[in-house]
Amino acid sequence: MPINRSAWLVLALACAPLAAQLPDAPPAGELVVEVEPDALTLPVGGARRLTATVRRADGTVVEDAAVVFYSRARRSVSVTRRGDVQALRPGEFTLVALVPADPEDARRRPRSIARAEVRVTVPRPPVDRVRFTAAPPKFYVGTHPRLAAEVVDTSGAVRRDVAVEYASADPATAAVDRRGVLSLFRPGAVELSVRAEDAADTMTIEVEASPVASLTLQASAESVRTGDVVVFTAVARDARGLALRGVPVLFAVAGETAPDIIAAGAAALVTSEGRFVAERSGAYTVVATAGSHTARRTVRVRPRDVRREVQVVGRGPVLDRHTSDLWVWEAADGRDYALTGTWGADGVTCVWDVTDPSDIRKVREVQVDARTVNDVKVSEEGDVAVISREGASDRRNGIVILGVGNPREGVPVLAEYTDMLTGGVHNLFIAEGHVFALSAARRYDVISIADPAAPRRVGQFELDTPGHSVHDVWVSDGVAFSSNWADGVVAVDVGGGGRGGTPAQPVELGRYAYPSGWNHAAFPYRSASTGKLYVFAGDESFAPDGRLHSGRGGVPTVAAGWIHVIDWSDWDRPREVARYQVPEAGSHNLWVEDDTLYVGYYNGGLRVVDVSGELLGDLYRQGREIARFLPFDPDGFIPNAPFVWGPQPFKGHVFFSDWNTGLWAVRLLPAERPAPVVGEPQ
Amino acid sequence: MWPAAALAAALLAPSAAPAGAGPHPPDRSYYVYVCAESADEVAVVRFGPGGLEVVRTVGVGSRPAETEGPHGIAVAPDGRHWYVSIAHGSPFGSVHKYAAGADAWVGAATVGMFPATLDVAASTGLLYVSNFDLHGPLEPRGVSVVETSTMTEVARIATGLRPHGGRLGRDETRFYSVNVMGSELVEADALAFEVSRRLALGDGVRPSWVTRPTRAGRVFVTGNNVARVFEVDLERWRVVRTFATGAGPYNAAVTPDEATLVVTYRDSAAVGFLDLASGRERARVRTTRAFPHGVAATPDGAYAFVSVEGVGGEPGAVEVYDVASARRVGEVDVGRQASGIAFWKMVERDGG
Repeated sequence: MPINRSAWLVLALACAPLAAQLPDAPPAGELVVEVEPDALTLPVGGARRLTATVRRADGTVVEDAAVVFYSRARRSVSVTRRGDVQALRPGEFTLVALVPADPEDARRRPRSIARAEVRVTVPRPPVDRVRFTAAPPKFYVGTHPRLAAEVVDTSGAVRRDVAVEYASADPATAAVDRRGVLSLFRPGAVELSVRAEDAADTMTIEVEASPVASLTLQASAESVRTGDVVVFTAVARDARGLALRGVPVLFAVAGETAPDIIAAGAAALVTSEGRFVAERSGAYTVVATAGSHTARRTVRVRPRDVRREVQVVGRGPVLDRHTSDLWVWEAADGRDYALTGTWGADGVTCVWDVTDPSDIRKVREVQVDARTVNDVKVSEEGDVAVISREGASDRRNGIVILGVGNPREGVPVLAEYTDMLTGGVHNLFIAEGHVFALSAARRYDVISIADPAAPRRVGQFELDTPGHSVHDVWVSDGVAFSSNWADGVVAVDVGGGGRGGTPAQPVELGRYAYPSGWNHAAFPYRSASTGKLYVFAGDESFAPDGRLHSGRGGVPTVAAGWIHVIDWSDWDRPREVARYQVPEAGSHNLWVEDDTLYVGYYNGGLRVVDVSGELLGDLYRQGREIARFLPFDPDGFIPNAPFVWGPQPFKGHVFFSDWNTGLWAVRLLPAERPAPVVGEPQ
Repeated sequence: MWPAAALAAALLAPSAAPAGAGPHPPDRSYYVYVCAESADEVAVVRFGPGGLEVVRTVGVGSRPAETEGPHGIAVAPDGRHWYVSIAHGSPFGSVHKYAAGADAWVGAATVGMFPATLDVAASTGLLYVSNFDLHGPLEPRGVSVVETSTMTEVARIATGLRPHGGRLGRDETRFYSVNVMGSELVEADALAFEVSRRLALGDGVRPSWVTRPTRAGRVFVTGNNVARVFEVDLERWRVVRTFATGAGPYNAAVTPDEATLVVTYRDSAAVGFLDLASGRERARVRTTRAFPHGVAATPDGAYAFVSVEGVGGEPGAVEVYDVASARRVGEVDVGRQASGIAFWKMVERDGG
């Protein structure tokens, strides 16, 4: 049997069980394990048996030696104890064969484990077919439409890793480049082809003379602020002056920032639909091209000038433990209160009287059997609160329902509810007599609290994707928006979505996921100025190496991630249109009200953002940020470490909870003069 | 067997040190690693000439604003690395590898839901961890097998409902685990990654732990909800003795001389010392706070280290018991909800 020496690992081994089995086995000696074959190439579905031979240093074979086979990618290539290999998915993989050592070998230099690795190559299946997709309806001389093709292999998988080659049978009429972009030179029929490996597709297009006789460009505004969206409409007309449909128009933008803005970088964008937005003040010219015709218009952009100062009005300091979420409400007794949870501590929820935000007083503490009260919510009527538990001593976490109609008189525990919620309720929401409570990060349960003393489960919602995990849920107008990490935001009709859903029988409306997999929270908001339904989806992410210390004496934490703005005006067509991203910090909980976004931006502090009008592009760079505030406190649980958990605007103030310092109340001061904006002319 | 009530009355009083108890503090140093499940920490604890102390704490996990729950811990047989199971993820749990001493993170493997108890084989370098899935649907789960050199899950052995405690056999060709909701002890072929035998422990019994087999081929299984420890003869594959215990026997360890079984009584805040020759509980000692969790015996058999969870914001604890006298000889606070505990090393003349 030929042996590839590279498959040999000469290792010392003394194996008592083996020695017991093998009278002639030396008590200690050099052993190698040889695997035949030492490398494999198998098609998907292919199989082969490996044979392992264990030898001593002198080359003699150790009979009946125990050899363990395993795969480092068992879902892609499997191997049985007998060495039977089966290829399941394409790729490069490694199998391991090892001979166990003696577990009782306690010598100073115990024998090592004899081991060999076998490389397995499973080639990708060949391409089965390629076909043109999404061809434009018309091909006009002078335009540059782009072709697209889909490649499918013999396993039925759509492949994006296979090179495709486009070709034109008549380049003088229609040329095509490597990316499938056409250049149309003259009228006539042309056969185009696309090839991927041995598969090919062809189509014949009819290039027509351009009917365009004129091109005009209209703008929805001539003078705007940074961040305002201007809609450019290109109108192509024929020789009779009639407007033409289906003529491809290419938009581009050029411009000059205001003279004081030096080296601004990319300061404006225009989308393929002609939507323009600028991040910096200046003059920008949008150019529309249709064949040989062009049109241009210039827009003047001035600073947005929304900046306002923040004044601290009051505090409810919590300096001896971490603070989690908050809720502010007007109770039945007519006074205003706030609840704040505590994190990694003793199960306390703080009840604050915030009627006078400049004189916040702790009314009482409610303690439950938990280490973390991560979330606190109050019913619309203001008489019932629900808090979540994690770290219960009996490992039955669930929720606790509190009576908060008159907190000064008392906050009684009305009920505990743990059934099927033992794994910890990280977040919850209350809407129309129902609690939407996360269960062990796998699903959310819908629990009726029509009788708060006798809660009962009426429904639940869980995704069916592999490895799904839910982190938060927020309900608005009968639609539940859950945040599900890699599965993104999922909208579910629970009574107001128009598709027959109820709390007992939720009906999914749609979902939107983005590549990072960081989706942590979502806040739906019907824009007052545009009528669009925007969902503000927040990330949560931290340093990837995972060795942070957040206890007393720990170090400030640095987070990452941003707010994704999803235009979800059509349940079937969610589109991510904008972002709010603070560099070097990370988003957490958020609130949107009166076209203003409030974000607990962890180490980036409290952020207040103007989200009026249509939203497009990078809101941070557009100067939409109204205010920022970082709650430093040298006496904080971690000193001078702002880590804002969540905000809530309430009766003219902004309340927020900070992980290391507790409850804060601030207000935005009136804008008295143009406020300075970093990077803008002063 | 002693009547349980009389035994409790007799034994819950503070025990006096009988003859034969070792010196306190000891001449040598003993080191253990212990998890704090609600603090996302692992503490290095030393019991030595200077007494019992926390040498340092190591923050574990990757999301500082989520409690991830380090639950089980094991030190590799060569003492060079330790491994901790992190119960909560998105959604799967994980096992993390650290260099012992430097306590530097080396790598991690994603495994199943709520990984709990783990053990590492010297003979293969493979790690076995029970995917407890405490809060999931009552569906069969299994034991993940992880190659520790690359921290890759290479197999999953379908064992049953709520697999929890698990230990390798002495020759490491078998892995024993218990199914809390399946009422059974499971033996798996640790090299073929498949179940070889199941032993029913009785309807409704919720076993939580199984000890490493003795030289005589016996394991001890804690019947958490029935206040019993079952002694199982592995060759005959049947229960050969049953011990009455305090309420909630949870974790257990056999001393190296195989004379004593030390058991944590989670529901009755006590530690039991079972004399394996007579089958009697020779001592029962109250812990300093509620919910004793794990137990690790020192290789010289002198001491048993016990982790105690505590309640709410109360710190967890590590308590040290002199095995011979069944007397508590040390106690130190660690992070909240102290859970898994593993012996690391003994040092004769410890400068550290």
